[in-house]
Amino acid sequence: MFQLIARRTLLALAMILAASALTFALISAAPGNVAALIAERTAGPAASAELVQSIADDLGLNDPLPVRYGRWLLGSVNGNFGESLRTGKPIADEFAERAPVTGLLLLAGGAIAFTLSLIIGLLGAISNGGPLDKLLRAVSLVGASAPNFFVAALLVMLFSVTLGWLPAFAGSSAASWIMPSLTIALFPMSVLSRVVRVNLQEVMSRPFATTGFAMGYTRFGVLAREALPNIAVPYLTTFGAQFTLMIIGSIVVETVFALKGIGAFFIEAIRFRDFISMQATLLSFIVFFVFVNLLVDIICLLIDPRIRRQSNA
Amino acid sequence: MSDSTEEPLFSVRDLVIDLYTEQVSVRAVDGVSLDVYPGEVLAVVGESGSGKTVMTLGPLGLLPEGVSVDIRGYAECSGQSLLARSGKELARLRGENFGIIFQDPISALNPMKKVGPQLASQAMRLRAVSKAQARVIALELLQRTGIPDPEGRYNCYPHEMSGGMLQRVMIALALAGNPKILIADEPTTALDATVQAQILELLQDIQRKENIAIVLITHDISVVAQMADRVAVLYAGRVAEYGTMEDVLTRPIHPYTKGLLSSVPDFRGQRTEPVTGIPGSPPDQSSLLPGCRFAERCPAAQHQCREKRPALVEMADVNKAHRVACPIAVSEGWGQSNDS
Amino acid sequence: MPDSLKLSSIAKWPWAVLTPVLLFVAVSILAPWITPYDPAAQDYSAVLQGFSQEHWLGTDYLGRDMFSRIIAGARVSLVAMSIVLAAALIIGVMVGSFAGYVGGRTELVLISLIDIILSLPSLVVALAFIGIIGPGYWSMIAALTMAWWANYARMSRAVVTSELHQPYIEAARVMGAGHLHIFCRHILPHVLALVVVYASADAGALVLAIATLSFLGLGVEPPTPEWGQMLVDGMNYLEQYPHLVILPGLALTLVVSSFNLLGEHFALKKVPKGLSKRRLGILKKRRAREEMNMLEQEAKA
Repeated sequence: MFQLIARRTLLALAMILAASALTFALISAAPGNVAALIAERTAGPAASAELVQSIADDLGLNDPLPVRYGRWLLGSVNGNFGESLRTGKPIADEFAERAPVTGLLLLAGGAIAFTLSLIIGLLGAISNGGPLDKLLRAVSLVGASAPNFFVAALLVMLFSVTLGWLPAFAGSSAASWIMPSLTIALFPMSVLSRVVRVNLQEVMSRPFATTGFAMGYTRFGVLAREALPNIAVPYLTTFGAQFTLMIIGSIVVETVFALKGIGAFFIEAIRFRDFISMQATLLSFIVFFVFVNLLVDIICLLIDPRIRRQSNA
Repeated sequence: MSDSTEEPLFSVRDLVIDLYTEQVSVRAVDGVSLDVYPGEVLAVVGESGSGKTVMTLGPLGLLPEGVSVDIRGYAECSGQSLLARSGKELARLRGENFGIIFQDPISALNPMKKVGPQLASQAMRLRAVSKAQARVIALELLQRTGIPDPEGRYNCYPHEMSGGMLQRVMIALALAGNPKILIADEPTTALDATVQAQILELLQDIQRKENIAIVLITHDISVVAQMADRVAVLYAGRVAEYGTMEDVLTRPIHPYTKGLLSSVPDFRGQRTEPVTGIPGSPPDQSSLLPGCRFAERCPAAQHQCREKRPALVEMADVNKAHRVACPIAVSEGWGQSNDS
Repeated sequence: MPDSLKLSSIAKWPWAVLTPVLLFVAVSILAPWITPYDPAAQDYSAVLQGFSQEHWLGTDYLGRDMFSRIIAGARVSLVAMSIVLAAALIIGVMVGSFAGYVGGRTELVLISLIDIILSLPSLVVALAFIGIIGPGYWSMIAALTMAWWANYARMSRAVVTSELHQPYIEAARVMGAGHLHIFCRHILPHVLALVVVYASADAGALVLAIATLSFLGLGVEPPTPEWGQMLVDGMNYLEQYPHLVILPGLALTLVVSSFNLLGEHFALKKVPKGLSKRRLGILKKRRAREEMNMLEQEAKA
């Protein structure tokens, strides 16, 4: 068991190294010279070739790629991501300011998606082909198809413009988080509720479900007691994937609701071709994705007694 | 064995069960009437597809999801009707009266649940005892069903136990609710030959000591010979022959029963003739046709067999409990040896 | 191809899920002939109008006909999506098949690359590429292709690897068939069968990705009518003229839904399902008639 977890962890670290090296190499190969951009910002469009050269030397941009990558990675691990080409501020400061926003968004959205998808999937399985099941299936289909930004716009129309209950733009109030969290939760909720529904149906056709009925449980009892624990592994695996996908939702939602999070920072970096910020943000994304997947892997290992006990022996 | 003046525990009357899927409609059970009396072992025998499982588990609402079931007729347990009940009421009746043992214990036990706690929670729910008492009961049940080191096995998951052990757990689980009737659906088919005998012995022991009625669904004549008090032979959803184990196995009358017995090589060490079996294969149960279902394969079939459904008649001259659904065989008289 | 999609069994195609998708494709292809106005034509005498006889779905802030723009938007989405899908498919099948066929160290390197790309959400990969090569229509196409091919490569490799072990490949080799011949004749059909079906369902995600990039200002640029980008434009008028947001949003949701419906049809595990009440009623009646027949016949005998 411990060996298995250790191996997964090592694999995850290798993945982070490889992925970050790849992005670093690609961004370094991008057209547009970082030194020239900096020189332009400090000395205006007429920056001399010597200035560009000296900045490049200062930053070590003329060193071979592996050396630069090593230096960058080492700096990043120590919390030094360099300075934003756009604002000149240390990227670590930006992260410190923005990470809580995105983190809160992901956690709130993840919690909503987790709870509602289980409820919706279970209700669908209880209804089992009835009108409620059909309705919920349609809701999941549309929910998994509607673009985030459209959902956000509809929520603003309903709750801010028509009803006037919630502020359209994120301020400091807790209420301002409701719409962004709901928007970001809709897609994973829809996908996950289908996963719950379909897997419950599959498990209910297995012999041990019949045993559950034979033990004197009602259909609801069998669903909740026998079937639900058995969908934990597929559910959590998909949840992990959907949780990381919420980064995309977060990018869109932060843009729509003018939230100052990592997603908005990434988009600004792309728009202004701020390579240093892009690199740092991508690294943080990679770490996040790999970490979430690792966590899900480990939880699944711990949940399934067949795996857990086998590797102990 | 009990005499038939007693009230039956579980009985079905004129039971008809149709199974519907998108592809076919099958009449799995076609007008079956049977009784199970307290403390007796009724063996329901037939080939696969003869409707023996559907007949027993259908009225209890235990057919797998994904098949649409239509049940008509009458089924009751301890005087309470089982049909036309809400899912909740039926679930309660199942839990209070029946314990069920399935064919393949490995797939019939929830892989995510430890065996001991599952037994305990079942005992707690159905016997209304405390958690501590339930644990004691669960350990007793494991002991009772012959599982060595119950304490050590208490926290095992199903995948950590052998098939034979799991079938014992299955039996313990069936007993956890103090059932009046045990339904064993091919309880030994999925097990090794050596384990089969042990499980049968265990079932027999339970039946004798606790006086629980057992409905034994099987295709294995040697199992019937070892355990049954009474036997019902099913063919294509209908009862072909019914009677005491002695009557049916040693003095079979229905041509199908004879064929079935002749396809068993040596169930009591008495036979030396070659195995003959029954030519042909079971009928297509998706279409409803008049006449005897066995007529197509029957060596004694006559014209009338294909026109009218044979009634199940009592062999009045010998034993009232012996009934046969074949007018031809009945008119020829009973008691021919089965190798004629 | 799955049996249900063979040309010979056209009557048994899943028309219920295919029709919405085909409708979208038809509208896109016919767009230049359907649109009543030039979708780019501005008319300052008729800005921000509601629904009317002249402008069925109203006009936007430049007086452009919304109905024409929605229809034209379908075409833009379909074209962009088709280019990306075709490119990703070709690259993916080629790289994946090559990796599977060659094996060894080359395969390991390629698979690692594919795994790295797939460890990130596709849209993040696309955004990163746009960040490197700059925004614009063709960079969006290139970026989405770079993000999308890996999935097809992984699938192709899996099929190739499993097919290579089939005895009939060995037989063909013994008979002296060349690598290219074996690949094109025996392996490629299996790869395409899987990949094309997957792609038909994947199209929805791609339409969504194109709209999202355009919404973020990193994809299709104005004045080309694109739904995501039309929606951004409309956001400024959300309070007074919500139809400028609702119409493109609705169009997007409908199109993506129909692709996802198709995808679900292919992807769902075939778990046996009970019949609907109506269907069961019909079957029960039929059975009852059959039973009456049987009893009558027996009564006559």
